[in-house]
Amino acid sequence: MNDVFLPEIACIEKVRDETPDTKTFTLRFRDHQNGNHFHFLPGQFLELSVFGCGEAPFCIASSPTRPGVLETTVRHTGQLTDQLRKLGNGDEVGIRGPFGNGFDVQAARGKDMLFVAGGIGLPPLRSLIWNVLDERDRFGKVTILYGARTPHDLVYKDELEVWGKRSDVELLVTVDVAEHDWTGNVGVVPILFQKVTLHPESTLAYVCGPPIMIRFVVRDLLKRGFKEESVISTLERMMQCGIGKCNHCAIGHRYVCRDGPVFDYRQIAELVE
Amino acid sequence: MVFTIPKEGTTQWLEKLLEAGEVIAPVRGPCGDVIFSALRSPTQVLWDFENPLHPPKQFVLPQTDPLVKIKLNGQRHEVEPIHDDAPRTLFNVRSCDVKGIAFLTRMHEADPPDASYLRRARNLTIISLACTTPCPAGFCVCTDSGPFLSAGYDLQLTDLGGSFFAEVGSEKGEAAMAKAPELFRKAREDEVTDRTALEAVAKTRFGPETCHFGSAMRRISTGRVQDALWEKMGDWCLECGGCNMVCPTCYCFSVKDLRQNGAWVRCRMWDSCQYNAFALEASGHNPRAHRKERMKRRFFHKASAQYYTRDSMVGCVGCGRCIKTCLGSTHMPAVVAAIRKGKWHE
Amino acid sequence: MLPVPTTCPFCACGCGFYLLANQGGLVGVAPSETHPVSLGRLCARGWSAHEAALWGNRLRQPLVNRNGKVESASWNEAFDHVAGRIKELIAAGKPVGVLGSARATNEENYLVGKLARAGFQTNNLDFCYRSICAPLLAGLEDVCGEYTPSVSLNDIESSQTILLIEGDLATSHPRAASAVMAAVEKGAHLVTIAHTKTQMSRLGSILLPAKPGNEGEVIDGLLAAVLDLGPEDRAAVEARCEGYDALREGLKSVKITAEMRQAAECIVRATRATFLIPPVSGEGPPSRREAAALATLAAVTGHLGRLGSGLLPLLARNNVRGACDMGIAPDRLPGYRPLDDKETQQRLQDLWGKKLPSAPGLDAESILQSVNGLIVLADNPPAVLPMGQRAMAALGKIEFVVALEAFLTPTAQIAQVVLPIASFAETEGTITSMEGRVQKLRVATGPPGEARPGWQVLAELCARFEVGASYSSASDVLLEVGQGSPEYASVRELEDGWGGVGVTRGPNGGKFRLGVAKVPPLTPAEGAYVLVRDGGYDWGRDPLISFSPTLSRDYQSQRKLFPNGFVEMCKQDADVIGVHPGRPVKLTSAQGNAVIPTRVRTDLTPGVLLVPYAFRDHLASVLGTHSATAVKVEQA
Repeated sequence: MNDVFLPEIACIEKVRDETPDTKTFTLRFRDHQNGNHFHFLPGQFLELSVFGCGEAPFCIASSPTRPGVLETTVRHTGQLTDQLRKLGNGDEVGIRGPFGNGFDVQAARGKDMLFVAGGIGLPPLRSLIWNVLDERDRFGKVTILYGARTPHDLVYKDELEVWGKRSDVELLVTVDVAEHDWTGNVGVVPILFQKVTLHPESTLAYVCGPPIMIRFVVRDLLKRGFKEESVISTLERMMQCGIGKCNHCAIGHRYVCRDGPVFDYRQIAELVE
Repeated sequence: MVFTIPKEGTTQWLEKLLEAGEVIAPVRGPCGDVIFSALRSPTQVLWDFENPLHPPKQFVLPQTDPLVKIKLNGQRHEVEPIHDDAPRTLFNVRSCDVKGIAFLTRMHEADPPDASYLRRARNLTIISLACTTPCPAGFCVCTDSGPFLSAGYDLQLTDLGGSFFAEVGSEKGEAAMAKAPELFRKAREDEVTDRTALEAVAKTRFGPETCHFGSAMRRISTGRVQDALWEKMGDWCLECGGCNMVCPTCYCFSVKDLRQNGAWVRCRMWDSCQYNAFALEASGHNPRAHRKERMKRRFFHKASAQYYTRDSMVGCVGCGRCIKTCLGSTHMPAVVAAIRKGKWHE
Repeated sequence: MLPVPTTCPFCACGCGFYLLANQGGLVGVAPSETHPVSLGRLCARGWSAHEAALWGNRLRQPLVNRNGKVESASWNEAFDHVAGRIKELIAAGKPVGVLGSARATNEENYLVGKLARAGFQTNNLDFCYRSICAPLLAGLEDVCGEYTPSVSLNDIESSQTILLIEGDLATSHPRAASAVMAAVEKGAHLVTIAHTKTQMSRLGSILLPAKPGNEGEVIDGLLAAVLDLGPEDRAAVEARCEGYDALREGLKSVKITAEMRQAAECIVRATRATFLIPPVSGEGPPSRREAAALATLAAVTGHLGRLGSGLLPLLARNNVRGACDMGIAPDRLPGYRPLDDKETQQRLQDLWGKKLPSAPGLDAESILQSVNGLIVLADNPPAVLPMGQRAMAALGKIEFVVALEAFLTPTAQIAQVVLPIASFAETEGTITSMEGRVQKLRVATGPPGEARPGWQVLAELCARFEVGASYSSASDVLLEVGQGSPEYASVRELEDGWGGVGVTRGPNGGKFRLGVAKVPPLTPAEGAYVLVRDGGYDWGRDPLISFSPTLSRDYQSQRKLFPNGFVEMCKQDADVIGVHPGRPVKLTSAQGNAVIPTRVRTDLTPGVLLVPYAFRDHLASVLGTHSATAVKVEQA
């Protein structure tokens, strides 16, 4: 019998501004400093408590290959994130989790990995990207396609540079609207497809971002011969308990917090609202 | 194992039960309503009554349910779960409500098990009173939840006239009888026959609300209910959420922190999938922005085969409460009938 | 703990339920099958009625602003301070005012009225929501005189014909919508006069489209259609009505459509017909004439004064009716009697031992803009008054504001003195529903901190002004209410349980005075549109909603998504103007201009722009003091 609503206390170790409305929080468990008890898969999420306000689900943006700290990237959208962004180093929050099914990292071994992200869609994929890069020789080609509205809206700007410099990663970044000194690609994410060579038979595609971007990207991938089971995404829903009980995230008889948030496109097609 | 207790003995038995903890039974409330309430005295118990509209799920899942206490000690937060280990007995609940609680327990046992709920459920003894005369609004025959049950209760009582037949369903039921063993004796064969006959007769006495649940389940599960039908029915729903509040198997909730006495208490509170904001995301996107979508959601959860397969239990117990409380006219039997006929109000 | 029977604090339908509480406080709500209005049902607000009192930001201590610093004070200190300052202002000849509330109990409203009239010797007494509903009530009075026409929810359910002027009944008065649905299921004809295709209008058999604020045109059409139906029993009509010839004359050139004829037939043929009317969005006098026209329609068709038929004003808040009955108006006394009613004056003077001020006072908006001292009972003027945020600015300029409130509202935040009172779940008292049913509130749990029941606080204030009396309970106050207004005399006999007493004044024998709406249509200049303020109550900012986690979600989300509000138009207009949904438009009227985002609705008539009541502040410069105005619309 678990006290499934009992959070564990964590301290904010670092806060990094990604964009004007997005921050990455680095968290360390207060009473279990090495975090070894918290085993998670990339793609899983945690329920973060801002005490006195409430709880909200956020994807874990750090990789399980680097235990000890947890990172989550949060965009300012509502009441809770309003309070959260006022917190700083040393402040305490609560963590419940990890929840959700996560990405099937085992099944991806040996495959070419294609990551396609838009705006705030990159954080859910970052966990898997770092996991793959930390175990680089277990995976085939790694291609990252990322876009945001403007250069200011790109998250993980420093890491984009690091990934870009790696010889074992192909990174392409684009923005919808260029600003001043932007010398990179301009256009929506799907335009980047013309600049890469994809092998649908041996590739798993991970797609995350605004619904409209996902729609176009997935359509493109399927046209190029990707099977529906090879196109993987994460679904977002209003969530409260994170454990499949409160019913807020239910789609049909599935719960996004338990059967997801990671789904492949065949599963998504079967979901009945 | 079957026993009987003479009617005159029940007062004494209840007194013994009261010594061991809270006994909750249907009583006549302050304004004439029959309500489930913790007894102050055995004489309050009603034996001939219409099932209270407010279901007994409130005793395992209160409308405001404190889960975790959060205190601030200087700069340090301290959290502790709130435990409710109080022993309780539910007395004279009906078969539909027994099934309702069994359903809720199944949901909260499912991975991961919810300790807060299970603590209450495991300390709860359920003594039911089988329905020898079905209630006017009930249709438990259609949902396999009455009028008599073969399992799910700790002890099932049947009114034989001068005495009550008592069927033991669990150790807790045995323990309940053991509080006053001298009052019970083994049932005679003729009493067993009477009990069986009463059940057979009860099954024939259902009123007009009997509904073809199975047929609705099939259509809902195979996506054969037209969107236009949900839209029409949706116009007859006033989104009060009453159906969810009184439904013995509904348990949707929201979680929020309540400031209390200098600390915070994280509480679970009843919510309704019929409310527009139930699935509303922080971004403003609402996957069920239209009433027809929310109605479809409710009836899918109650009646689909997919949920039935997943949980091995029917999501409706045929208690008829939604008929009484619906502010519009979209209660279970009406919707089931409409689904079966493919038409609404025609 | 035993469930505590009480009356719903939200709308004016008058439902009842049980509040559930334990030692820790409120837990929830249980329905009642025996309650004569609820009959086992509740709306979403009712099911979460306990939430605001439990979760809300509660006022727990008297607070006094001394030299810019807000400090907690003892009750005695606070009372002394309030009495001292108000007396100072009165002695200096400076005007003071008092605002009662549509969500306070009868006892609280009665005492605050006594405080104003007998204590402060002023008729500067009003309640904010009256700005919205006064034209409606005046219009009905014009036709019916002293008679307070009312219809019960049961009457609605048994009607053969229902005429509904539709705002959004399913949201404003769900229990009434339930009665309408039940009637339609039984075969009743539902005629809706509406400017949008709401849920109720879809359930109806006849929809009479009307431009918002212009429902009067349709009502006049119905009147004309009724008169046109054929030879009527003129003698019978004249026996109960006066002004029949003038009515015929006034309707001579009115256009009658086929649907109006259909509707008129349904009304005339019905044995029982009920007419439901909310405060319509419109200017004072036309709004008043519109209400009078509807009452006229009921009168000429024989449905006024007939058992089972009649008019039901759909008042938004739970105790609007009670506030009126307690005389919370600058020109009315308890019993809603005119200020110069000699009999009532004498009765009150005898009861209170003080002479009453004779000059009519200021209404709520004027009070805010003129007084130096103000008592506000359980209300937040900027959220309720049409003047919106301008009320906040006005409050800020008043040198001494006292707020009696349970919740931390914006008004409580800027008041110089805060007197914390109990919420509806923590006090005894009565409220009067729109049916005229007086019902009890009961104590389910104690108020937080040092908050006290409102009637106790007001009794003490009255005592400080030498108009106190000894009240040991709210019932004692109610007793006095009955002595002041005869209709409430029988109310003191409210038994335990669901006993409710009706306070409808029967017809006084006078005839119904007929009148037409004759609303001059707000014809915009060539190329211009009509901007209308839609609805009359902002539930999202009512503390019982805003402090309820479950009930506030929709409103909060809307305000977050549209921090600058929005105006609604139909697709046709959006295309012509060349604006995409979400994009801003510039509205220009004779009063001024403003920029605001648009939303497109498929069910709106071309030429009409709606701004929800909740967002009126964003278009304050365009609307000015009007509720509807011609505007030019262009892309921003």
